[in-house]
Amino acid sequence: MKNFLLGAGVVFSLEMRQRVRGVALYVLLGVFFLLILIVTAILASVLFSSGAATNQQSGASAFSTIIYFVLLLGTLVAPALSGNAINGDREAGTLATTQVTLVSSWQIVFGKFLASWVTALAFLAVSVPFLIFSMVVGVAPLTVIVSILVLAVELGIVAAIGVGLSGVIPRPLFSIVVTYLVIAMLSIGTLIGFSLGGLLIESPTTTRVYSSTQSDADGNSIHCTYSQTDRGRAPRVDYVWGILVANPYVLLADAVPTTVDSHGNLTDLFGFIKYAERSAQIPPQLHTTRNDCSLGQDDSQQYRETIDSTTPGWLVGLILQLVLAGAALAGAGLKLTTPAGRLSKGSRVA
Amino acid sequence: MTAPQNAPAEHSEGGIVVRNVSRAFGQVHAVRDASLDAKPGTVTALIGPNGSGKTTLLLMLASLLRPDAGSIQVCGVDPSIDPLAVRASLGWMPDILGSWSVLTVRSALETTGRLYRMDRRTAAARASELLDLVGLTALATQRTGVLSRGQKQKLSLARALVHDPSVLLLDEPASGLDPVARLDLQRLVRRLAGDGKTILVSSHVLAELDEMADDAVYLEAGVTASADRIAKSKSSSRQWRIRSRDLSGLRASLASTGIAQADILEDRGELLIPLDGDAAAEELLRSLVTSGAPISAFSPAVGELEHTFLDLSRGGAVADPPADGARS
Repeated sequence: MKNFLLGAGVVFSLEMRQRVRGVALYVLLGVFFLLILIVTAILASVLFSSGAATNQQSGASAFSTIIYFVLLLGTLVAPALSGNAINGDREAGTLATTQVTLVSSWQIVFGKFLASWVTALAFLAVSVPFLIFSMVVGVAPLTVIVSILVLAVELGIVAAIGVGLSGVIPRPLFSIVVTYLVIAMLSIGTLIGFSLGGLLIESPTTTRVYSSTQSDADGNSIHCTYSQTDRGRAPRVDYVWGILVANPYVLLADAVPTTVDSHGNLTDLFGFIKYAERSAQIPPQLHTTRNDCSLGQDDSQQYRETIDSTTPGWLVGLILQLVLAGAALAGAGLKLTTPAGRLSKGSRVA
Repeated sequence: MTAPQNAPAEHSEGGIVVRNVSRAFGQVHAVRDASLDAKPGTVTALIGPNGSGKTTLLLMLASLLRPDAGSIQVCGVDPSIDPLAVRASLGWMPDILGSWSVLTVRSALETTGRLYRMDRRTAAARASELLDLVGLTALATQRTGVLSRGQKQKLSLARALVHDPSVLLLDEPASGLDPVARLDLQRLVRRLAGDGKTILVSSHVLAELDEMADDAVYLEAGVTASADRIAKSKSSSRQWRIRSRDLSGLRASLASTGIAQADILEDRGELLIPLDGDAAAEELLRSLVTSGAPISAFSPAVGELEHTFLDLSRGGAVADPPADGARS
């Protein structure tokens, strides 16, 4: 194990030196910083000028979007940093000269993954001041801390997928594009998949309806009887919610501890997303009764209860993402193992 | 310059032993049937035209490619079975010149040492030694990206030597080198062979291999030429070049030794005569000198390797019918 880390460490430091000495990284970091600055400034000016910032609730809700913005930019930048880590070396003619030394293919893959991750974390570090700012203006500190952790993990997942695909796919341009497609699949594809799943899988429902047959002078029912059975179909999103939690945005929202105000209402964007996702886990009631005589019942939303009684979506999502990232890295490690048996078409060992 | 004629099937003392190795990429049979022996302390030339499978064979020796069939032993170890053991004792200088472009020349060598599990200090010391050895000390602090082709070639050689390997594979080491650097390379290669290293050099520039190789292996269309064929090619007719101040006198002397005028070619003020083997050359030289012809130079018109190589190529039938391409 120690030897493994030593070898991977050499690959890591080699990779870092190559990245750190490039100008491109600093330009990107600068652009990244500027973009978040602009978004934060616009949010702040709108909220403060309208006086809404005095309302802590709306402040928190708005500024949690900064965290999402960091996640968006991070997942957009990370594939570019990692998507050609291995096949780029092959094109530059430096991969084979590394493979012929005493480091194994797994050490190469791991070292490169680590370097890509650390580079991506630099972007998170640049955004930390804004996250702290969001804390100052009303986002709960725990929310910000958990968000930073989740952001760090998500950048790692993207780095792993990028490095893995760059080992599996021979052409750098193609592997970067595929990495972006995987990110798009996770960010948008999961939403589409979830919706389609809900459309495809439905269960028949029956509702026994009781209606008023006799009313008093004030219009209140004094006698109710069974009148009919309504039939319908309910989407079974409780079967496909696993797709939804693989979404980085949902995962982040789910991981953040829920904050409720004194009225028991959710306070921020994450809370609403989390509640919607957790509700999707609960199977619909297929056989219900509706009593038209007692309309207007208090149907208060039990946020706490729903969230506490359901599976932590972030954990499930994280496991799914880790499997994906691990598979990509494993594929790269196997592909790099020498002496090489099969080669992909048109590729050279050296 | 003798090809391995009575090579033992295995010699465990080191070096490279290759037997009936083949490797295909899809439909392309890059190497079909290669066998060779490279012994410790010698420089073996691997000769063949472009696309004859030299680089593929070297990649298999370097433990990067798995042969489809046949056996390889590097220092007594099969690279398919224990690649790490082979890598520890093998230095490979590839034909393409990749370098970590933002690293300095010195740190590129240090990093290579670290990849060979040296500690920091050993790697630094070794880098300094190698910079000196290949003559890159003055460029030690330059980024490798700015090096010229020849300088990169030197760096690549230094990198192959980082862990002081006992077997060296050099793929086209002299391409891009100026004459001085080429001479330095020859001296270095000879010296390393003198230290007991096994050196296999591939090239298609035959003149430079002539200067440094002890043995030669001819590869064409993925098949190594047999020792018999090489012996036959060596004794076949070849051109000799004779320089003289008095060409007409020389022609007359040649005619008196029985050489037909039609066989004599004139080239840049010198005469070219086809002769069958060294014995014929000795005899002609003796009779020319006796006849008093003014001769200032008498030498083979092409190098030994080139002659053999060209003769084998013209023979055309070096490659057996590819019936054994499907050998498994």
